[in-house]
Amino acid sequence: MRKYALLVDSSRCIGCFACLVACQNQNELADDSSFIRFEEQESGQFPNVKFMMTPLQCMHCAAAPCVAICPTGASAKDPETGLTLVDRGKCIGCRRCVAACPYNARFYLKDAGIAQGCNLCLSLLKTGQEPACVSTCLTGARLFGDLEDPKGDFAKRLPKAKPLRPDFRTKPTALYILQAQEGPK
Amino acid sequence: MLEKSFSRRMSLKTSAATVAVAGSMETFSFGEWLKKAEAAEVTTVASICGGCSAWCGMWIHVKNGRIWKVSGQKDNPTSKGKLCARGHASAFWAYTKDRITSPMRRTKDNWFEPVSWEQAYAEIGVKLKKVLAEHGPQTVFFSQNAKPTSRFYMQRFMDAVGSPTIQSHHSICSTGRDVACKWTTGSMATADIGKTKYILFLGRSYADGISPSATGNLAETRDKGTTVVIVDPRQNSSCAFATEWVPIRPGTDLALLLAIASVLIKEDLCDKAFIEEYTVGFDELQKAVRDCSPEWASELTTIPPETIYSIARGLGKNRPASCIEQGYKAPNGANYANGTQTFRALACVNALLGNYGRDGGMKFPLSPKLGTLDSKVYPAPPKPKVPRCDGAGIKGEYPLCQTSQGIPHMMPKKAMEGKAKAGFIYSFNPVRNAPDPEFMVKGYRALDLMVVCDIQWSETAMAADYVLPECSFAEREDLPTGISGSAPGVGMRCQAINLVHSDTKPFEDIVAGMAQAMGFEKYFSFSRDQVSEAILAPTGVTLEELRSKGTIMLKAAPQALSFDTPSKKVEIYCQAFADNGFSPIPVWEAPIAKADRNSFVLIHGKQGIMSHTATANIPKLLSIAKTYNMDRIWINGKRARQLGIRDGDLVEISSPLATRRIRVKVTERVHPEAAFLPAGYGNTSPLLKSAFGFGVNPNEFTPHRVEPIGGHAMMMEVVITVRKVAD
Repeated sequence: MRKYALLVDSSRCIGCFACLVACQNQNELADDSSFIRFEEQESGQFPNVKFMMTPLQCMHCAAAPCVAICPTGASAKDPETGLTLVDRGKCIGCRRCVAACPYNARFYLKDAGIAQGCNLCLSLLKTGQEPACVSTCLTGARLFGDLEDPKGDFAKRLPKAKPLRPDFRTKPTALYILQAQEGPK
Repeated sequence: MLEKSFSRRMSLKTSAATVAVAGSMETFSFGEWLKKAEAAEVTTVASICGGCSAWCGMWIHVKNGRIWKVSGQKDNPTSKGKLCARGHASAFWAYTKDRITSPMRRTKDNWFEPVSWEQAYAEIGVKLKKVLAEHGPQTVFFSQNAKPTSRFYMQRFMDAVGSPTIQSHHSICSTGRDVACKWTTGSMATADIGKTKYILFLGRSYADGISPSATGNLAETRDKGTTVVIVDPRQNSSCAFATEWVPIRPGTDLALLLAIASVLIKEDLCDKAFIEEYTVGFDELQKAVRDCSPEWASELTTIPPETIYSIARGLGKNRPASCIEQGYKAPNGANYANGTQTFRALACVNALLGNYGRDGGMKFPLSPKLGTLDSKVYPAPPKPKVPRCDGAGIKGEYPLCQTSQGIPHMMPKKAMEGKAKAGFIYSFNPVRNAPDPEFMVKGYRALDLMVVCDIQWSETAMAADYVLPECSFAEREDLPTGISGSAPGVGMRCQAINLVHSDTKPFEDIVAGMAQAMGFEKYFSFSRDQVSEAILAPTGVTLEELRSKGTIMLKAAPQALSFDTPSKKVEIYCQAFADNGFSPIPVWEAPIAKADRNSFVLIHGKQGIMSHTATANIPKLLSIAKTYNMDRIWINGKRARQLGIRDGDLVEISSPLATRRIRVKVTERVHPEAAFLPAGYGNTSPLLKSAFGFGVNPNEFTPHRVEPIGGHAMMMEVVITVRKVAD
């Protein structure tokens, strides 16, 4: 059993949107659709101010509300990988999942008439490649790994990473590092 | 806690309801294409990204003859396997709806009509011959954003015309830096960010004007514990990796540098051995900065004196593995009246640190030795004998300006004065990207002949007599290009897809067509492959090998430290500056623009998703810009409150030249005296239908000017007022 997960280190995100467009291309989305969205936060007062960009996408929750609410079973957990996937053939485009996702990370694709979210580029994973958003991230703000067998940078940063908004009680798999990183002095 | 702010219902919505599906405007719908695509064979073709001038090596992944996606070449030193958003989007230029699809000719009622290539070449030939007969070759110019293909073919064309006035876009980009560099250190040294211990950035932001490897290096150097200090009126995106953001009053970086020099000298933090062996003019600098204390500079820059002391000591104590990064456009490129001397001062401080050629300091890049066509087999036209039209390199005009760059944004003025009569412009949009677009158009329209070659209807194309459509970069092969850096290399762009619009052509064919109409065909009796092979010959790399790999890095022996200046040393005191009436030592000069309590200096710059305005018309990128309201002007929170302006309000911004309306981003991330307007928006060409009407062009507020030393455009020397207006 694998448990694939994305680890996002917001302290390294520059908000360049490279991941968003790479994802759009990989998944052949329309120009105005995407599986990733960004939130920007600013804190402090001039000149002691900090900003933080946070990319959000499907958190691949263990208790996924999008799965529970789906009337056709299109939205389902993949037993092999732990990912939350959408069967495009079964989706009727009712958009209940879009409304149910507390992270606002399920997107209605106008041109296809269905709702979908990040699938961690499963087709790339199957050929041993990383998700498109991870492989293009300029600053290493996005890491991919298997929570059952963490390796490399993913493993190194894992202890600091936490799910976003655990109070939503959806048991998200995606993990985030939100505090600014301190360099070894 | 920060995480709590990720609310259940976010204010930002990613799915705009109004933009059409771009994939559907081609021969089949997006849905149909998607079905076909899922079962398709994918081929990958080596290319070079055309999204900006960083020139990342990229793979274009083609499915069913259509671009599917792109990825960065791992061996390419700029992309290192990664691409930015522009990179992922720019290959799709091929499919944008605002391409120029056939040659066009201006009509009597100032619009455009299609014309055949043969007709266009013939008419251009007749008009150019008339200009040459009546006014001479010195009235003809060529302005470009230089690429290997255009550089080679247009050099021959212009030589055949007899005009030396070939210009690159730099007078609105980096001419201040480049001219100062030429006369101070000879060529451009770049910060060795991988090994530095203390690095100071002035305005330059790797995370906004992105090169993927530079951005990655910045992140990595911060991980290693390097002190990264970023001086900028705006807290730019690179500040994610800054130890400290130091906001500065716009255009006063020169004062900061002089104060740093003064502390380094007074506190004995300089590299005396380096200064002795490799520099001229230390004593003069010492005298000149005697009174440039941090306290003095603090008044000018608004930076606290203790911060200036701390920066100077940080640089001094970590030398030679410390440096001031070389910058690009701001504040030492083309933005302020004192830009050239600002770079002179920057180079002088690096010399005081003795960091040239040293690990962690400033390194001179290694370039490959490339070949060219054998002139015995393929005769080249004679070199022009007339003087340049733009005065670059000419005593009494702009003697210090490099003739490899020239002063393109001055040509409209020359046209109005009757000194320029015919202009060719390639892949360059000075009407939109130089100050005062109205002035630019008026000048270009005063020409007897203006020919613009581009892929889309730029504002400059809209000012042309003839518009010749090039195919986009994914649709063509270009000549190989040299790669310079810590190791030399070669790269090339190959044709990934067939022509989307059959009546567009690669640039070399367009030049050959014009050459034939002029009777210059004897200078173009070769194929592009022959030129490519000649370029590659000295490297030992074959054309086929390069086509398949995209990037090939070469071995090179490290070079001994040398400076290509008249004295063969770092010219802290610059005799050429003295000889031409400019201060031979950098001394304080105030910028022209200064804000008061009712106004702001208008600063502008890149965002990671946009290059100038060329990319605003790519639907993928424009959609992001619209979703995230990225066209807003940044105003400091305290100033905004004083003006009664709230985040998201609509305001009117005015200079004597223009009044425009835009929404406000109220932020603590900008200096109270500066207003930051993203530089990528405000297209006014009605035929750029995607981008038209979105955002405001900062250049509309700024007067046309030419800086006296190198001739740059002083693009941020303008003050605006801001006032809230009703929605």
